[in-house]
Amino acid sequence: MTRVSHPRASPARPEKVGAIQGPGVSNRQVVQELKEANRLGCVHLVELYQNRLLGEAVNVFHVPPADADEIVSDTLLAVVTEIQSFEFKRSDGDFHFWVMTILRNRIRDFVRHRALTEGLMTSFQEAALEEEELYSPAEREVVGSIVRQYEESLRTDDEAFAHDGGDTHRKTGRGSSRKLQVIADTLELMETWERVLLRCRALDVPYDEISTYTGKPVKQLKVYHARVKKKFIRLLAKYYPELAANTEIGHVAHSGRVEP
Amino acid sequence: MKRDAIDRLLQLAFLEGTIGTRGAYETSAARKPVEIRASESSRVRLQERLASALGGAIAPQDVPLTVGLFLKGVRSEGALQPQDVVSRLGLSQNIYRMLEHDRISPLKISAEIWKMFRRLFNLPVDEFVEMVRRTHQLVFFRPSFRTTLARYDARKQKGMKASALEQAAVELYTKAQLSLPPEEESKLDALLRSISQDS
Repeated sequence: MTRVSHPRASPARPEKVGAIQGPGVSNRQVVQELKEANRLGCVHLVELYQNRLLGEAVNVFHVPPADADEIVSDTLLAVVTEIQSFEFKRSDGDFHFWVMTILRNRIRDFVRHRALTEGLMTSFQEAALEEEELYSPAEREVVGSIVRQYEESLRTDDEAFAHDGGDTHRKTGRGSSRKLQVIADTLELMETWERVLLRCRALDVPYDEISTYTGKPVKQLKVYHARVKKKFIRLLAKYYPELAANTEIGHVAHSGRVEP
Repeated sequence: MKRDAIDRLLQLAFLEGTIGTRGAYETSAARKPVEIRASESSRVRLQERLASALGGAIAPQDVPLTVGLFLKGVRSEGALQPQDVVSRLGLSQNIYRMLEHDRISPLKISAEIWKMFRRLFNLPVDEFVEMVRRTHQLVFFRPSFRTTLARYDARKQKGMKASALEQAAVELYTKAQLSLPPEEESKLDALLRSISQDS
């Protein structure tokens, strides 16, 4: 069985995890400056994070550049206004993880808003078309079904919020998260290295880093990635028997193992 | 990088917190070379926006007790040089020095300059008004403190003791509730009202 190391517990450069390669200013210095209300902290924060966060929003999450610019501004604004509540607990990288969590939440809010206004299906269909040969119409229909359920749960949350004026505000999004639970459940059915490969590649983590976590050679990970995806969609289809019944998915969904 | 619908679905689950990478994604993001660069104007605009928010985020306990202490803090942080403050507020060098040492009453400086001062450093109105009030109290009551100091004239190491007492007095006068004569109080209130109207 392949040993999978915990990314954070990786022995390589423990103090450097999350440390930004930037203009010679450490995260600790930026935090100290911001906590002391020193304006230099703002300059250093922008130098360290603006371009990096823009890159993540645009390249990884496909946020349009103009929206990404706004998301990054809001993220760094939240960092500045909430800086007094931040404390280092483990290393200099704590701050980077905190900033990335705020960015993730802002992008999630953007995606939710887009799902409620124009819908996510267009972008998902475009992405699916790129890989038309890889996935059958039925497999794409499974993805479409999950996305539609997600959008519907967001609308339900939104209507509940509008109806009771905020009592359910904290609960908003819970329904949408539950609709995606099927993805986590499906991943649990796969081998650990397959899970790591799928999750990390979806977020543009380089193969060589995934290799250190999984113990698999980079070349093997590259070859297997498409097959692991195919296995994932087949397992996912098990949760949608009504969609799989009339397609080939139903016949292959039971074979869970990836053949080299 | 090209991504298909499966990747997008996994991303959606990641954003919603349904699945995670145990820090692998965040670690990778820190190591990546920067591929997109914001424009210079965007960078400057963001810095200004953050600096403005930072002013409003100063915790009340972090606002220095007096204008002098605040200006000394600005100088030591290197955020702004005294000559910058002097030119931006239209003060003379002499007035600035007296301000930095809390040797001049805020009443001697116009409300317009105090408004510019508050805007320059993005200070919250309430805290700033209190800072100006305490500065005036310190300046007003300092002469009476001098008579107390005089009693130590004959003692050894009087310079050191005087310095210690001076510091103690600054803290005492600025933290204490000291009642000004009605006429002084009225002038100070008028100045502080004028500063507050700027908000």
